[in-house]
Order: sequence, then C-alpha cells, then structure tokens
Amino acid sequence: MSDAVSSAPTSAATADRLLDRLAPVAASGARAERGRAFLHAHGLPDHHHEAWRYTPVADIVAALESARPAPLDDSKTSSIDRHTVDELAGEHGGPRVVFVNGSLARELSDSDHDAKGVWLGGSEDLAPRRPPGATAPEDEPADGFHALNWAAGTDVAAVIVEPDAQLDTPVHIVHLAVSGDGVTAMHPRTVVRLGPRSRATVIESLVGAGGAPVVNSSTRLLVGEDATLQYHRVVDGPDEAVHVGRVGVVQAARSTLDATATITAGSIVRTGIDDRLVGDGARSNLRGLYLPVARRRYDNVVTVDHAASHGTSTQRFKGIVDDHGRGSFSGHVIVRHGTVGNDASQSNPNLVLSPSAQADTRPWLEIFADDVACTHGATVGRLDDDALFYLRSRGIPAATARSMLVAAFATEILDGIEPPSLRERLLGSLHGLVAEVVP
Amino acid sequence: MLSIRSLTAAVAGTTILDGLDLELPTGEVHAVMGPNGAGKSTLSNVLAGRDGYEVSGEATLDGVDLLDLEPEQRAAAGLFLAFQYPTEIPGVGNMYFLRTALNALRRERGQAEVGAVDFLARAKEQMASLEMDPAFLSRSVNEGFSGGERKRNEVLQMALLEPRLVILDEIDSGLDIDALRIVATGIEALRSPERSMLIITHYPRLLEYVRPDRVHVLTDGRITRSGDHTLALELEAHGYAPVAANAAS
Repeated sequence: MSDAVSSAPTSAATADRLLDRLAPVAASGARAERGRAFLHAHGLPDHHHEAWRYTPVADIVAALESARPAPLDDSKTSSIDRHTVDELAGEHGGPRVVFVNGSLARELSDSDHDAKGVWLGGSEDLAPRRPPGATAPEDEPADGFHALNWAAGTDVAAVIVEPDAQLDTPVHIVHLAVSGDGVTAMHPRTVVRLGPRSRATVIESLVGAGGAPVVNSSTRLLVGEDATLQYHRVVDGPDEAVHVGRVGVVQAARSTLDATATITAGSIVRTGIDDRLVGDGARSNLRGLYLPVARRRYDNVVTVDHAASHGTSTQRFKGIVDDHGRGSFSGHVIVRHGTVGNDASQSNPNLVLSPSAQADTRPWLEIFADDVACTHGATVGRLDDDALFYLRSRGIPAATARSMLVAAFATEILDGIEPPSLRERLLGSLHGLVAEVVP
Repeated sequence: MLSIRSLTAAVAGTTILDGLDLELPTGEVHAVMGPNGAGKSTLSNVLAGRDGYEVSGEATLDGVDLLDLEPEQRAAAGLFLAFQYPTEIPGVGNMYFLRTALNALRRERGQAEVGAVDFLARAKEQMASLEMDPAFLSRSVNEGFSGGERKRNEVLQMALLEPRLVILDEIDSGLDIDALRIVATGIEALRSPERSMLIITHYPRLLEYVRPDRVHVLTDGRITRSGDHTLALELEAHGYAPVAANAAS
C-alpha cells in the first residue's frame, strides 16, 4: 500500500509535531525507527488520498494534535478491575489478555490459562520466548497512522498458535482505553500468528472507560498453511473516542480467515482491513456491521488482494445509519496478473433511517487476470413500510416494530458468530443503539 | 360491533370509497363482494390503518372510532386484518414475531404475558389443526412461503391473537381447493358469538365453507346492495353488472 507516498510536505511537518508530542521518548527498535522515518518522509494521509476519501481525517489529526500520550500508570488506570473489563468487553470462556492504554495489564489478564498450544503475552515476555520465525515484520507501514502506531506504540499483544494446535476456547485480546484528563492518545498493537494446520478463534475488543481517547491501532494476522482463524473485531467505544484501526492480514496456502468487524460506538471510527492471499487456495470471508448514529462517522476500507491462485474471498459489510450519522464502505479487490481461478465477491447493503443520515459505498475492482469470477453489489434503502405496517397491524408498537426490522437487517452478519456470548453481546449493543435511535 | 358511516377514502385526489355505510353486529359474519377496483382492499386497508389514504367519515368498533387510532392501537382494540398479500419479513423469526405481537396485545389488554414454553404449546396446537409444519415457526415471517402457506400463517396469527373483529381480505386468493378447505375450516373454528368477521372476496367459493349471515355488494366505493347468503349465489350466476345498473337507476 502506498497511500501516503504523495503527501504534502505540510502533513510531514504535522507528523513531526505529532511525533514530538506523542512519542517524546523514542521507542527503541527497528520497527519504531521505520515508523518515525516513514512519518518524517510521508506524513499523514489526508482526504485527497483515495483510501481516506470518506474519513474525516482532518478531525482525526486535530484530535491527535490536541492529545497527550495516554497515562500508563495513574490512579485511573489502576482503578480498573476485572469486573470493569467484563462490563466493557465481555467474558467469552477462554483466556483473556488485557492491555490498558497499550500496555499489558498482568493483574487483569489470565496469565495462568490452561489453553494448550497457544502462547499469549506482551512484548516483554515475547522476546525470550518467541518461537523461531514468530514474527514476519512488514517492510513499511501502510500509511502515516500505521507508522505512528509503530513509532509511538509501547507494547504488543501477541497470540502465537503452535502448528497443529486446535484451540477449543476463544482467545480474547482486550485493548482498553482509559483517559486521563483531556484527550489522550494510545497506539495498541496486536499480532496473531497461526502455525500451519492450526485452528483458533481470536476476539479483539477495542473499548474504553469514558473520556475522549484517540486510539490508533494496528493488528496483524498471519494465517499459516491450512490453518483456520476466526477473528472478531469489536470496536465499541467509548462514545467520544476517535479510532483509527488497521488490520493487516497475510494468508498462506489453503488457509481460512473468517472475520467480522463491528463498530458500535465511538465518534469517529475508521477500520482498514488489508487481506493478502499469498498462497494458493486461501479463503477469506470478511463481514462487517457499522451503526453510526448522532453525528458519528464510521468508515470501512477493505482490500482483498488475490496474489495467488484459486482463492475465494467474500466481503459483506452492512451499514445502518441514522440521525446525522454517516457510514461508508470502500471495498477494494485486487486480482493479480498471472493468477487463475480466483473468486471474489463483495456486497454492501445499507439501511438509512433518517433523511439526514448518509451512506457511501464504493466498490473498487482491479482485475489483472482473465480466469476470475468477481461480483459486487451495494444497496441503500429505508425500512420497508409494508413490513412496518404488517408488524404494527398485529399490535406491535411502532418503535418496537422499527427496532425489530433494524435488528433483522443486522442479524445476518451476527448470526454465525461464535462463541454465542459474543453474538449475544453484539446483539445487545445493536438493540441498545436501535432503542436509542428509534423515535 | 363495527359501525361504518359515510366512510370516504381517496388516494392522491382520486376517490375510492365514497360514502360507505355498513353495520356488522357482534357475532355475525358478513361478506363484502365486489368487482375489481370497487374499493374492497381500500376498505380493509383503511380500517386497519395503512398510511397513504385521505379518509373521512367514521368507523367505530364498540363506539371507539378506529380512524383516530394507530394501527397497533386498532389491533389492541381487537381488530385483525388478514392480508391479501402477507408481507415477507426476512430476518424476523415467525415465532419471535408471533410472541412479540401476542404479548404486546396482552399488555395493552391488561393480561399477563405468555412465556416462551406456553406460547410454543399454543402455537403447535393451532398449527396442527391448520396442517402446518412446526418448522414454520423457525423461519422468517412469510419468507419463501408459498401463497397457501402465507394464508395459513394469517389464520394461525388470527387464532393466536384472538381478535374480536376479523377482516379477511381475499383470504381465498391463490389457494387451491385443499388449502381453501383448510383455511376455511380454520376460519369457521374461530367463529364465535363474541367475534365478528368481515370477509372481503371476489368469489363466492369461500362462502360455501363459511356461510355469511349477510352479503354486501361493494360497487363504486359504496355498498349498493345487501342480502342474505343467497345473494352470493345470485352474484355468481349473474355477475355484478345488474347490481351496478340497479344502483345507478
């Protein structure tokens, strides 16, 4: 990806100011150095960049410019207990590892879990125990925000699954934003690596305990040959949060990624997913749900790159926009020259509940191969008046009927989610939002 | 029970119902018959409260003017419309829908809500008598149902929601003879001294199974003739034209 390469010099200057402000102590290591160098050279993307077209990127930069680094150890962060984590992120029956403001919180995490074949922890424990080849660093950040994550991030949540391991409980990574006074910035990072033939479910919750954090997250998913990863990403607040997140995926031959990305709270949220199918016969099934209400802005920018043959990919993202909310989906499919037998589909149905709400959708297909099947479709619609009347004619009050129809639109995305506790939790968020927005 | 006086309804300035009067006493079953375009579906839509009509006049259910109420309030007052074309609602489970509706009505009527287990037992009993597969409960409302299945689903809802006033809008359309018998048997089973029914139909076939106390002829937006059940047979033999001519003279 080279989104930021043509940035204006002014944004490089902005980036330097941000580095001084948010990463005053230079994090050591090659990654941080590459992040700094990239930012210095290219700055941050702005709305002229195709992939940032719908995102209020100036507002995000302004929030970063007003932010201080999130505190790592103060009275607020130390007041967080397990009960708070249960409330904000849920408990899903497997080991849970909790990061507060980007740093591993051991006392909140299940370090003594008995799940076999998986290694969990933060960067401190990672180095000595890192299995050979456990990291596959990217050469270059995807964009300026990603670079800032590298430069200013303090820790990494690592989930390393051994070859052939079959995890029977979900691993839950929780990134919790705890604001001090004013606007605070954090740069959570997660790496999930599945060894060949392994199978795992990973839930990543990006949540917060009030305040107005700016969360600039980076997640890397490396799915080995014949491995199967279920990944559920939950961006759920706090309400005032500004959230920029990137998920970079690399799929080896015959691997399967089954992922959901839901956005249910936050004032500005952008989720970027770059999924590269580098081995033959890989399968990717990406689903998303986003519900901007009030004046919230939620954007999804998804790229699936078929760099090998006989891959299948599905992108299905659903938006529900209400009030002055605005949501977008940009779905990018690349099928590389020289590949054969790829099958890619993409769809983006939207439900617009208010005349002042807006849904944007943008398919972007780059097909450089002949032997390929590729479909896409997007719809923007309102609630079905006939269905509404039908429900009301049976005695169901208008507000309940509307919320039933909104939930019905969304449940398709949530239906297949395992574990059920997560599905229930997401349905709960959905119903909460619907109850809030339906007059 | 139902008293309609000088009911008019227009869509975008075009008058469809034009001063319709009709009295439906408690416990009686009346049929409204009429040719295409006479206003039969408009009558059922206006009574149930569908948007999009300019309405005047009066339609009272036990003294309460339905026209002042929202659709769900009309249902709470005891009105049930069986739709000519029941709507598909993907993603809303039939059982969830039915129980939500029943409990909404029960709350409005000051009755205790029905729990899931109880409800399932009730539903299964009614479904058996309508020869419906219990699998229908786990499907989305009317989604992928055949015409006959949708109509049975309407009768199932009617049986579960226990309305006092039932309007059946072309319930017989799209039914083969076996489905018609099953649906008619279901309707007949709901006939009671406390419940009134208005059967709106094109064809007299249904009326052979559910014999009405009165038959009204709707032409040009009003009731132009009323009689006992033999009027249906007369209409079948001679059509609506003589009635219309009679009304015009």
